[in-house]
Amino acid sequence: MKALCWTGVNEVSVEEVPDPAILNRQDAVIKVIASSVCGSDLHLLDGYVPTMAAGDVLGHEFVGEVVEVGPDVRERRVGERVTVCSIIGCGGCHYCKQGLWSLCDNTNPNPGFLEKLNGHATAGIFGYSHAMGGFAGSHAEYVRVPYADVNAFPVPDGVPDAGAVFASDAVPTGWMGADLGEVGPGDVVAVWGCGGVGQMAALASLRMGAERVIAIDRFPERLAMAAAVGAETLDYERVDVLDALKELTGGRGPDVCIEAVGMESHGTGAQYAYDRAKQALRLETDRGLSLRQAIHACRKGGTVSVLGVFLGLVDKFPMGAVMNKGLTLRGAQQHGHRYIPMILDLMSRGEIDASPLLTHPLSLEDGPKGYELFKRKEDGCVRAVFHPDVRPGTEAP
Amino acid sequence: MARLAREAKPEETTWYAVTVRADPAELTGPDRPAALALLAERHELRITPAPGGRGSEIAVRDAGGDTREEVRAIKQVLETGEALVVEGQPEGHRTLLGRAGGPAFRQLTRRGPR
Repeated sequence: MKALCWTGVNEVSVEEVPDPAILNRQDAVIKVIASSVCGSDLHLLDGYVPTMAAGDVLGHEFVGEVVEVGPDVRERRVGERVTVCSIIGCGGCHYCKQGLWSLCDNTNPNPGFLEKLNGHATAGIFGYSHAMGGFAGSHAEYVRVPYADVNAFPVPDGVPDAGAVFASDAVPTGWMGADLGEVGPGDVVAVWGCGGVGQMAALASLRMGAERVIAIDRFPERLAMAAAVGAETLDYERVDVLDALKELTGGRGPDVCIEAVGMESHGTGAQYAYDRAKQALRLETDRGLSLRQAIHACRKGGTVSVLGVFLGLVDKFPMGAVMNKGLTLRGAQQHGHRYIPMILDLMSRGEIDASPLLTHPLSLEDGPKGYELFKRKEDGCVRAVFHPDVRPGTEAP
Repeated sequence: MARLAREAKPEETTWYAVTVRADPAELTGPDRPAALALLAERHELRITPAPGGRGSEIAVRDAGGDTREEVRAIKQVLETGEALVVEGQPEGHRTLLGRAGGPAFRQLTRRGPR
């Protein structure tokens, strides 16, 4: 089959690879219908996540059709259209039982790296480095899904692939950001980053009753998309974000600050230059500009909810602000299994629509071009989504 | 300085421990899983109830890399019915360096520190 592989820093290519097989009795094989790029893939492309190897198949956000199931799969059936959570849960460990799916004890066969880096290993993720389990990703014609009964969710008939694909990651991750922030009526929420996850965090916050959501980015089309959801917007290249947030919140600061940027935060001024230099010299692994800003901006006693992917060490972390302002700092890779059934149900009733995120439907063969557009934010690209069934050069549905 | 150097390396525990969502009685009686019985032939084991109803704590003395993998596999089988594998998945062209260094790399990411 064809698959889009990481071949080196800032290099991907479409290769002919073996078809996946059932390797464990609870596996399923899924024929991929649509597989989206994700902002977190850029950390792999840019070489900031170690333990990638040339030949690794990328992709973790996808919808597809079940074509084969292992002998111990009880609920999934061949022919079902399913959204698969990007995070792989086992369903049997203490963490999965608590709904903390991304903390799963059993789905990372390569726990050594994360145990050394973070003290403990967390769940496996499709197509996201050997440290995250070494699972082949979904930018392929077929993908193997372990523990299929708990990780694959049937998609209701009325939900288009263009929405269902984002129920795999962007929507539940955004939803979790608002949920971890315990957003409620009357809250003012600020969201750093208007990519797919940030857009969905803004949407979820409004649905949870937030009175105002302020979305922060620098790309006009992304700010316009957030405005269409109902958020106010700030362009951080035009206004001082900390000043503007104080003004917009009567000096208090936002009640909940959601960071949806992660380790390659962009910004302006000396702090940004400092972070770029330290990351380039490998003196810090993660650029923490937007995280620091979220902590500084957050109102006293508020919550900072971290969705952006961080790998290891952020320099100049404002612990004094966290402690003295009595902040609650929360974060996680998405516990998607908690939210996906509810999200698919809302989609089927037309109450939420994630399909506007899909700005660039492409064939799998056009994968390298898709990543180039996405990385450079060219042509208004918010998400490029690959369709293995579509011929190169033709536009996917 | 000598004191600092001496104190910089505190003694490491010789036990490797995991928590398993299983009743201690299942892991200690005559019907305990065969893999656990085999492990007990080679290593000193300590099985105690985990607090808060979280199952059992299995501690293994002097567990090397192979044994740590084995303990994780026992935990997985007890909790999920199978030990997850990734060998045999699709992969693209591996470089010469990738092919040569693959086994050592895999061992490093798999076994981890004590």
